[in-house]
Amino acid sequence: MSLVGKRILIAKPGLDGHDVGAKIIALALRDAGAEVIYTGLRKAPEYIARIAVEEDVDAVGLSILSGSHVQLVRETMRCLREAQGGNIKLFVGGTIPQEDAAALLEAGATGIFNASQRIEDVIAEMGRQLAAS
Amino acid sequence: MLSLRWVANLPPAESLHGVLDVSARRRLARDISRLASATARSVLSAPAEPVVPAARRIGFTGPPGVGKSTLVGKLVERRAARGISVAVLAVDPASPYSRGAILGDRIRMDAASNDPRVFMRSVSSRDAQDGMCNNVADILCAMEAHGFSEIVLETVGVGQAEHAVKALVDTVVLLMQPETGDAIQALKAGILEVADIIVISKSDLPGAPKMRETLASTVRFGAQRAVGWRVPVLSVSVDSGQGMVELEEALSAHAVWVETHRDPAQARRRRASYRVQDLFARRLEDQLATLAPAEWELPVAELYARVLSGLALD
Repeated sequence: MSLVGKRILIAKPGLDGHDVGAKIIALALRDAGAEVIYTGLRKAPEYIARIAVEEDVDAVGLSILSGSHVQLVRETMRCLREAQGGNIKLFVGGTIPQEDAAALLEAGATGIFNASQRIEDVIAEMGRQLAAS
Repeated sequence: MLSLRWVANLPPAESLHGVLDVSARRRLARDISRLASATARSVLSAPAEPVVPAARRIGFTGPPGVGKSTLVGKLVERRAARGISVAVLAVDPASPYSRGAILGDRIRMDAASNDPRVFMRSVSSRDAQDGMCNNVADILCAMEAHGFSEIVLETVGVGQAEHAVKALVDTVVLLMQPETGDAIQALKAGILEVADIIVISKSDLPGAPKMRETLASTVRFGAQRAVGWRVPVLSVSVDSGQGMVELEEALSAHAVWVETHRDPAQARRRRASYRVQDLFARRLEDQLATLAPAEWELPVAELYARVLSGLALD
């Protein structure tokens, strides 16, 4: 799946301090041809939304290990809409229990990924959704 | 064909001083994307830009890892705090293998990118040969149209990029890192000549004083001296804040020098020449892509003639 020409923001909201997963995904996306912007650790949803809009990305990928994924996804989605970036796709990855999937989808995330998935599958799913957009 | 009609529309009043509201921010971001992937043809068919007061343009260049983003982040933060609106365009190289890129400059510009007076955008050099992005001149104009006081262009130094920066900005700041043997490399490549201000970054590192001395004695005899500008060589450490005031003073001094000494017609000529060459290089790429395998076997003179006549058909 080629992501050539697609722009994707990889962001870490909230308080957990581990970004190995985020960086692995960032590199895999680059290798699939995407232009990847990475925010670094511990960013507020407002900040993430502002960057997403300024960088005119097609998608934001949130990496969350802290457990507060539902709230952070809701908050990021709200900030994106406020910044006129409501059309930007939102993906979320990290330690996400299966039972939270429905709430995340309802909050506006269109893809939910966790560590048990193969990277190729994650990239392929993001590519599929972005090709459709 | 891509429409670039927006260029002709003056930005709304609320964004004229470089403090962008939500819609203006969104619009500028979109316009930059459009320009970054616009073909040479669609750029040429766009109407002329509106006349807006020119923003002061400052370019930062130097080898990867020298600390450009960190310095730009700090500088922009300081200037925004004094009410100066700044737009930053950071160009990062694309992978020649996947054409993808990691645009990592934002990480180093945290504080600045929270400020309402700042607009920051990272772009990939994609297939541009000189380390710039496609239509970089047009992107800078699009930023300018929103009324920023200053525009910062940050780019990795890859030989030709320095000359492109020179054509596109008013002041070129060249960054060098201590203890990298860069002083001699810079002499070889001739990149010192494009610098209006030289910054020894990470000046808390041990080799900094010696590097500064070498460079200062070198630029004393450089090409810039002939035009009456004495290139300052500054030691700057973003961590300790050392040299930041001196850098800002040097930027102000150079602005005055540009105002009083630089021939604006020559600067315009240089910029126009860069744009035409950039467009032409891409048009030529397109033309070469149309050649059949058999044509590549022709003697070079014949191939050249064929390409030329192909271009003339436009």
